[in-house]
Amino acid sequence: MLHRAAPLPVPTSTDPLALPRYGRLYHAFGALVAAWVTGVLVLALTRPVANLPILEQTARNLYFHVPMWFVLYAAALVGAWHSARHLATGRVLHDVRAEAAWTVSVAAGVIAIVTGIVWSRYTWYLEANVWWNGDPRQTMVAVQLLIGGAYFILRGSIDEPRRRGRLSAAYALFATATMPFLTYVLPRRMASLHPGAEGNPAFSQMDLAPQMRGIFYAASAGFLLLGWWLYTQRVRARVAELRAERLAEASTPSPTATFS
Amino acid sequence: MLLQDTTIAVLDAATTAGAEPLERAMTVASKTPVVLAVVLVVWLGLLTLVLVTERRLARLERHLDDAEGAAAPRAGS
Repeated sequence: MLHRAAPLPVPTSTDPLALPRYGRLYHAFGALVAAWVTGVLVLALTRPVANLPILEQTARNLYFHVPMWFVLYAAALVGAWHSARHLATGRVLHDVRAEAAWTVSVAAGVIAIVTGIVWSRYTWYLEANVWWNGDPRQTMVAVQLLIGGAYFILRGSIDEPRRRGRLSAAYALFATATMPFLTYVLPRRMASLHPGAEGNPAFSQMDLAPQMRGIFYAASAGFLLLGWWLYTQRVRARVAELRAERLAEASTPSPTATFS
Repeated sequence: MLLQDTTIAVLDAATTAGAEPLERAMTVASKTPVVLAVVLVVWLGLLTLVLVTERRLARLERHLDDAEGAAAPRAGS
């Protein structure tokens, strides 16, 4: 019996699954992010905050809650970019990158909404003793997260890779397009206790205590870099999976090339 | 002084009077060090997971490089 193996692409820069080399610089970057976020956590919980009525020590949640939204937006934009590129070029790597970006985006969104729910429970709803009261921004964000979650359901429901890539890329563009309306425009036009709503500003010169500003910026940078680190890991893991599948397919004899 | 006279402060003092050191640390009025400790434990756990994943990925990528390098000449011949 003669088996002829399917041709295997030589791993070069023209390989559709070729990634940049993750060498020493990348590992140094990982160590920097780890140290940076550890430092931010310590500073966030030890440095003084503006001890305002109602907010009190919960103001420290600002260092975690808000940067998570930044990660969500940044990762969603990266996902949208790669989705658009996948639709334009059909390259698998763009689909892989879009999926990884959406994973980071939705994970950050879940952390953000959970920290927001806990924060509101012990400030806005302290007397009411409720966890959820239909606040416009919280509700819109929950809808946005459901839209983001549906991206993965869509991916999971299609087996054929090319079709899955194209449909989920188109859906990802739609999901990103709804983001500014659901999380920014609409909540700003409705009465809400959330900063940034109508008559309730956020992040102007007067809204953030000077002693909190530095840590807030450091936390934002740290969590954005952590998000990027996790994103690259997701991409590498998925690419490794695809390469392993390709190797397995190449070593499996194809029926047309089998002679008895 | 006003804070110490509140019911919660009195209850705190009563409940922690005969407690173990760790228990006292967990129930004092200012729990910031406890929160910091819990946050750091969770963060270090997550960081360990990320670093272990990093090492495994690097090993897997090397293995795939080797396997593809070995399979390519075979496929070409």
